[in-house]
Formats: sequence, structure tokens, C-alpha cells
Amino acid sequence: MAVSTFMGIQTMLRGLLAQQRALDVTNHNVANANTVGYTRQEAVLGTTQPLAIPAGALNGTGSLLGTGVDVMSYQRVRDQFLDLQYRAQNMSLGEKSARSNSLQHVELALAEPGSNGVAAALERFWGAFGDLSNAPENPAARQAVVDKARALADNINQLQTGLSAAVTQAGAEFSALTASGGDIHRMAADLAGTMNAIRDAELTGAQPNDLYDRRDLLLDKLSEMGQVSVTASPAGGTDVALGGVTIVESDDTTGVARVPAGAFPMTFTSSPGGRLGALSDLASPTGPLAAYQQSLDRVAQMIAGTSAGTGVTTVNDIYQRDNPGTPLFTYGIGPAGTPVLALNPAITAATLSAGPGGPGANQTALDIAALRGGAIDKEYAQMVTAIGSAVADSKRQEATAQVLTDNLKDRRESVSGVSLDEEMTNLIRFQRAYQASARAMNTTDDMLDTLINRTGRVGL
Amino acid sequence: MGTRITNNMISRSVLADLNEVASRQAATRRQMSSGKAITRASDDPYAAGRAMALRNELGGIRQHSRNVEEAQGWMAVTDTALSHIGDMAQRARELVIKGASDTLPDTSREAIAAEIEQLIAGMKQEANGTYDGRYVLSGSRTNVPPYDSRVLPPPAAPNDTYGGDSVKQQREIGPSVRMDVNTTGDRVLGGAPGDGKMLDILRNVAAHLRSGDTVSLGTQDLKDLTGQIENLLGIRAEVGAGVNRLETAAARLDQTEESATALLSETEDADMAKTLIDYSTQQAVYQSALNAGSRIVQSSLLDFLR
Repeated sequence: MAVSTFMGIQTMLRGLLAQQRALDVTNHNVANANTVGYTRQEAVLGTTQPLAIPAGALNGTGSLLGTGVDVMSYQRVRDQFLDLQYRAQNMSLGEKSARSNSLQHVELALAEPGSNGVAAALERFWGAFGDLSNAPENPAARQAVVDKARALADNINQLQTGLSAAVTQAGAEFSALTASGGDIHRMAADLAGTMNAIRDAELTGAQPNDLYDRRDLLLDKLSEMGQVSVTASPAGGTDVALGGVTIVESDDTTGVARVPAGAFPMTFTSSPGGRLGALSDLASPTGPLAAYQQSLDRVAQMIAGTSAGTGVTTVNDIYQRDNPGTPLFTYGIGPAGTPVLALNPAITAATLSAGPGGPGANQTALDIAALRGGAIDKEYAQMVTAIGSAVADSKRQEATAQVLTDNLKDRRESVSGVSLDEEMTNLIRFQRAYQASARAMNTTDDMLDTLINRTGRVGL
Repeated sequence: MGTRITNNMISRSVLADLNEVASRQAATRRQMSSGKAITRASDDPYAAGRAMALRNELGGIRQHSRNVEEAQGWMAVTDTALSHIGDMAQRARELVIKGASDTLPDTSREAIAAEIEQLIAGMKQEANGTYDGRYVLSGSRTNVPPYDSRVLPPPAAPNDTYGGDSVKQQREIGPSVRMDVNTTGDRVLGGAPGDGKMLDILRNVAAHLRSGDTVSLGTQDLKDLTGQIENLLGIRAEVGAGVNRLETAAARLDQTEESATALLSETEDADMAKTLIDYSTQQAVYQSALNAGSRIVQSSLLDFLR
């Protein structure tokens, strides 16, 4: 069998088309250089089916003649193993940064060290009693005690409210994320939809690269929330679980993905990890914020409670020792549900007593002033140090997690990211190949010109 | 294949490095503007706790200094009053000795009795001394004078009752160190007829002068009065010791305040020279990072393609 005279043109046409497709892929890469979650693609070129030719072959055994090139597939350059590593690290980052954020808010509410915190208010309170012990009859000294006592109560209440707001906020954020119709629910629905679209495309033999990217991006985002696990289900589908709760399941017979009914609002049997894990810990009555609330409550109890309850002589103990039945402070749960410390409304500059006896008696004031630097200040300082350490620790952990996540992000980017230099090189590469194919076509054309227009004209 | 470096990796790492330098610079700037090395508890939790304890201690020291000053004022007034009363008691003793002489005419004794009564009034006047509007010898009843110092015309009986109470006034001059600062009038002058104290004895002296009872004057009265003068000297010695103690306490408090202030400053204040140098170093690093970043991010193969 003879080879067609026009075969060269056909081969070069394939060359032109293939280089053009490769250029198209390059264009797609360049266009998506900054698209989040985009994975660079490659046109995988391969030789086309060769032509078997018996004639012209050695020993007459026949031979194969190359017929050119074609695009075998459009490959997505991605390392699934790096995805798993990245998601595990991203979960850790989500947890650390949620914790660090919340604790830093608490630290701001604390306002220590400084002149606006509880420590400074305590200091002024002790000072007011000290001055009162020097001049119990002095109306200014008496007014100062009343004012500083109110300021101290306000300061402690404000901090208690700040702590309780941080707890509430963590709880509210947790609920908003895990609620039916919440962020995670929407992502799960999106994921199920994307997985079904992928399935449909795959059934027609297509390779939906951009849909894969979308699916992987959703999984990346979910990994910040908590522990993501992707498992294969029968019928070729996949199940996705977040923190142990299945949020996308594939039908065992049809393989169609859907969000299982009753998955939202999510309930976890163990810590879901990630941001959700941090939030549920922060909102929990055994979490770090609750421990600070209890610490502050102990401080307030040491002021307004009794020695029986706190194990130390309280301010109220001393005041009531000398003024039975009249506490200096009241302490109880306020209308907002948080404990409220307040100066006994019956106590004013006029009714305040500095000690039993005449107007110059100062025993009460002396004993209260002597509480300075005692259990109350120590308990509070301990709480401040605990919060400070926790914040410093969480910041450090967040920074470490950030570095590790960035590192993995870089490694992933190194495999899947678009390098403009590389694309420009490819552009030139494919452009040149295109030009060369055209040139080769010209050559074939010249040959045909010789054959058609110049052959058989001997003697003409 | 070696590691591919993509444009996004470059931008990300340049940005991360710039952020890092900028946030370090922000921390230094915070130290510069506040003058404090620790502005948040998390900057150095241990130092923050220590700074709080030191500030508290410093507050206590300053409080004790104020207490000492107050006590010094109080005791100075007491000391002056006692000193004047002592002078008058000495004068009364001289008068008793003079009045005990049998050779003295009755009119002279009457004049001496009148002077004794003036001395009584004078002593009471001194005992009514005040500090900052407060009667220092009244115990805790600082709003009422301890004695009625009026000299009433003869038919009215003199009122020698002590108006104060015997409550001790204490000042805290150091951690758990308390000191009594007041002397109650009843210890000095007495406060009831027949209690054998200064006023009671002087009233007896006046009566004996008027009745010409020179025997009593020369024996019992003189002995009693001498006893009271000794009692007074004892009280003055107590007050004097108190004043000395306060002076020592004040000097010690000044010293501790100084060292606590230095320690606090060391713990929480920023080292300005170091902070400024750090800042300019960071500024230079930041600028060179910006400079390098702008070159790295810009250069690309595109610059060289025609």
C-alpha cells in the first residue's frame, strides 16, 4: 500500500492543532494565575496511531510510519498527598488562630498592666481606706472611699462582662457555623453539588479539571473548621465527614452525593478539632474562659463574700465585724446573668463607718487598708499572669501553625501553582512548534507544487 | 524536577516577610510611645505579674509614708500640748511649796489659789489642742473638746469632766506595723472629781490654799502633784519615743520607695536607647525588604521578551 501524497499536510495539520491546544492550555493557566484553588494544567502530547506500511521496509516485513501528534489528555498537576498534609495543618491553624483571637480580645478587656485595669482600681481602693484611717472624720476622705469602692465594683463587673461576652461570642460563632443553613451547611451543599457535577462529567468520559479544583478548594475551606475525612463509598462515590459528622454522603447504589438529612445543626460526640474545636472549648463551662470567670469570681468573693466561703478574711468580713448587718459590698447574679459586685446602696460618705467609737475611730479602715497586697491582689495577679501566659502561648502556637501551613501551601504551590515564567517559556515553545508545523506544511506544499505543476511537462 | 518557584509563592513570601518586619516594628513603636516594655500581659506574663506586685508594693509604701506624715503631725501637736502642760504643772508645784509656808498671809494664799485656777484653765486649754480640726486628746471623739476650759464665776461648780473616750488611735506605718498615736486626756489630766489625777489634785490644792490647810499642802498635795508630774513626764517620754520611731520609719520608707521604684522601672519600663536603636534597625530592615520585594516581584521573563 502506498502512502498518500498528502500525508505530510495531514501530519502537519495535526501538529498545528496540537500546538494550538497546548497554547490554549497555556492561556488558561496564565488567565488563572491568581485564581484561588486553581491547579495548573498541562496538555499531554502524544504521537498518533502510526501507519503500517509494507513497502519500503527492510526485508519486506513492513514498518510503521509516524503520523504526527495529538493531545492525549489535559492533565491537572496536583499531588493529593500534599493536600492531605495541608488540610491537617490548616485544621491546626484554624484552631490556634480562633483561640488566639478570642484570648487576645480577653487580654484587651483586661487592660493590664496599666492604670485602667482592676489592679489599679484595687490599688486606689486600698489607698482610699488608708487615707480614711488617717482622717476618718474628713468628708473628702469618706467620699473618696465611696467613689473608689464604686469604681472597683464597676471595673470588676466590666471585666466579668467582657469575659462572659467572649464566651457568648464563641458559642454564637460555633452555632452560626454549625447551624442548619449555616456556613458549613452551605459548603456541604456546594460540595455535594460539585461532586455530582464531577460524576456526571466523568460518566461521559470527560475530565472536569476545574470542577476538581472547586471540590478541593471546598475541602480546603472545610479543613479550617475541623477534622475532614474523605472516604470512598460503594458505587464509586465518596463520603465526607467533618469532625466525625457525615456532611456529604453518596448513595450506595446510584453514587449520587447529598447532604444527609438531620446532619445540621451539627452535634459532635468528641472535639471536632479546627476552628469548631477551639470555639466549643472557649464556650465550654470547663474551658479556659470559664476558668478566668471563676478566678474573677473568686476575687469578687474575697471582697464581698465571707471567710467561710473563701478561706480568707474578706473586706465585707471586716466591715461587718464592726457594723453587724451592714455589708460594704453586695454581690449576686445581675439581670444580664453575670455576677454583679456593687457598693451597698445604704453606704454613703455620711453613713460610712471607719471604726467603732467616735468620729475619730479608724479600726475598720485600718484593717481594710491592711488587706492591700494580700489574697485579693494575689488572686487577681495570678489570673492576669495566667491570661498573659495563655495569650503568649496561643500567639506562639498560631505563628508556628501559620509557618507550617505556609510551608505546605508553598509546597503545594510549587507543584500546582502557575509560574508565569514557565508559561511564557511554554508560549514560545508552542508558538515556535506551531510556526515550524506551518513551515513544514509549506514544504510539503512546495513538493506538491513540483509534483502537480512541474511534472509531465517535458518538451513543453 | 527541582522545586518550582511560582509568582504566587514569591508574592506570598515577600508579603509574609514584610508583615513580620512591620509587626515587629509596631511592637517597638508601642514601646517607644508608651515608654513601657510591657504594654500587654502577654508581652511577658511573668514580668507583668511582677510589675503588678511591685506597683502594689509601691502603693503600700506611699500609703505608709502618708500615714507616717499624718502621725507625725498628730504627735507634734500632742507633744507641744504636753510640754506646755508640764510647764504649768511645774509652776503649780512651785506655788504649792510657796503656799505651804505658814508665814504667808491669807490674802497671798487667795492670790495663789486664783493662779492655780488659772493654771487649771490653761492646762485644759492646752489639752484642747487640735490637729487638722481634730482634738488630739479626745480619744476617738475627735469632734468634741476633751475639757471645758471656761473659768466660771464662783457660785458655779467647775466642770472638770473628760469629754473624750479612751479609744486608741492607730496608724499603720509599715506592713502590719501599727502604732498608737494618740494620748487620751484622762491619762494626762484625769476627768472626774476624786480620781487623784492632775485636775483633781489642783482643785484640792486650791481648796486647801483657801482654807489655809498648810499641812495638807506641804505633805499630801505636794506628794500627789509630784506624782502627777512624774506621770506626765512618763507620757511625754512615750510620745517622744513615738516621734523618734516615726522619723526612723519615714527614713526607711523613703529608702524602700526608692528601691521599689527602681525595681519597677527596671521591670516594666522600656530601655529608650535600646528601643530607639532597635527601631532604626527595624526601619532599615523594613526599607531594604520593601526595596528587595519590589525588585523580586517585578522581575519576570516578560521583561525580556520582545
